[in-house]
Amino acid sequence: MKREILAYRRPDGSVGVRNYVLILPIDDISNAVAEAVEKIVNGTLAIPHPYGRLQFGKDLELFFKTLIGTGLNPNVAAVVVIGVEPKWTCKVAEEIAKSGKWVEAFWVEGFGQLRTIERAARTAVKFVEDATNLKRETVDLSDLIVSLKCGESDTTSGLGANRVVGRFTERFLEMSGTVLFGETTELTGAEHILIQRIKSEQERQKFIRMFDEYQQLVKSQGVDLLGSQPTQGNIAGGLSTIEEKALGNLQKIGNTMVDGVLEPAERPPAKGLYFMNTSSAAAEAVTLFAAAGAAIHLFPTGQGNPIGNPIVPVIKITANPKTAQCMFEHIDVDVSDLLRLKISLDEATERLFSRVVETACGRFVKAEILNHREFVPTKLYPSA
Amino acid sequence: MVDFLVHRDGDHVGVAVRDIKKNEHVSGKTVDGQFSYELDAVQDIPLGHKIALRDIQKGEKIVEYGEIIGVATDNIAKGAHVHVHNIRSLRWG
Repeated sequence: MKREILAYRRPDGSVGVRNYVLILPIDDISNAVAEAVEKIVNGTLAIPHPYGRLQFGKDLELFFKTLIGTGLNPNVAAVVVIGVEPKWTCKVAEEIAKSGKWVEAFWVEGFGQLRTIERAARTAVKFVEDATNLKRETVDLSDLIVSLKCGESDTTSGLGANRVVGRFTERFLEMSGTVLFGETTELTGAEHILIQRIKSEQERQKFIRMFDEYQQLVKSQGVDLLGSQPTQGNIAGGLSTIEEKALGNLQKIGNTMVDGVLEPAERPPAKGLYFMNTSSAAAEAVTLFAAAGAAIHLFPTGQGNPIGNPIVPVIKITANPKTAQCMFEHIDVDVSDLLRLKISLDEATERLFSRVVETACGRFVKAEILNHREFVPTKLYPSA
Repeated sequence: MVDFLVHRDGDHVGVAVRDIKKNEHVSGKTVDGQFSYELDAVQDIPLGHKIALRDIQKGEKIVEYGEIIGVATDNIAKGAHVHVHNIRSLRWG
């Protein structure tokens, strides 16, 4: 297997596979400025979102962590931070600046929208010149953080696509890579297996607490999750219970052991395999993994899910022959041959491995080509 | 070539890897190719849906991946379609 890739090494040592100049709005009412800058400065990328006003406590903490983490992501070369007022805007910019990354902050109060657009755009022009002058260099694939999350799963996910990702994960960890996975809700019925795979007692207790908190939340709402878990798409694809879905889901980590358990958007402290407490909603989970530093995301799908991320290439893998045909424009790696035992698991994994290397070196994935830029910060509770 | 796959030998269900029609004689293997199975489908089984590998009694726990995935809400005949109409979760609902 080819281990060398051509990628960007950032000042903090992290390795990225894309080279974005990010226009990062701090709040919903700064989206217009960010989008205006993106429009007039070629080579920039705005990531509008609906939050950032009157959040508090843990929810505000996670929001900041997500924005700062997104700016710190190794696929980002430079960040133009735009908010309505200076305090929070500068706080985010200062945290990103600590990594040595090019970053500057702009706020609308005291300037007005049009002058803010002009000032931010002038900085963006300079950032694009500098960023596009950076060269890719040869680095080891294992320097990347890769994240995992499946979506629109069906039984072919557990039989094929997730197992291929699981074998990839085994190989990538043998190479000393770093892998993130999550989906706290979708481990229901398979949590006993994961618990046994967590290396230390301390991390095991952390996972059990996160898992129980979620189960309590479900019970406290008095809701019946049947109908939403498994989803209607899952059921159409043949999945019948959350336990079956969870067992299929867990195939994504193969037969590996888990080094640690992370809070949402928390960066892994070392190399290895980490569980992150995340929603099972695709765009939300990928946004949290990206904020923790993931450079590439592997996304097995059964019935077909178009999700992408603004800064992280999301590689779609399917083992469902019907999906591979009818949703061809969304699928990067077709492993449906595995379902009829026409190829081995190792052969299918080799296909995925090659595509990961190509993607790392600059090849666009389908979600990038189709302009999927879902940036969805997780909201923990209502704003004040 | 196979018509259905089985995660672990001993599972109560296999998963159709093509659209199977009622009364078809079908063959399957475990995902590692080690164990083989033959039976008659007594109902249509769409691709991705489960087929019972043996008779399952109402109230019996159903095993897939070598693990319990739910409980049978009806008697299920060998070769029948196993889905939300005759299996429910033990965890939610």
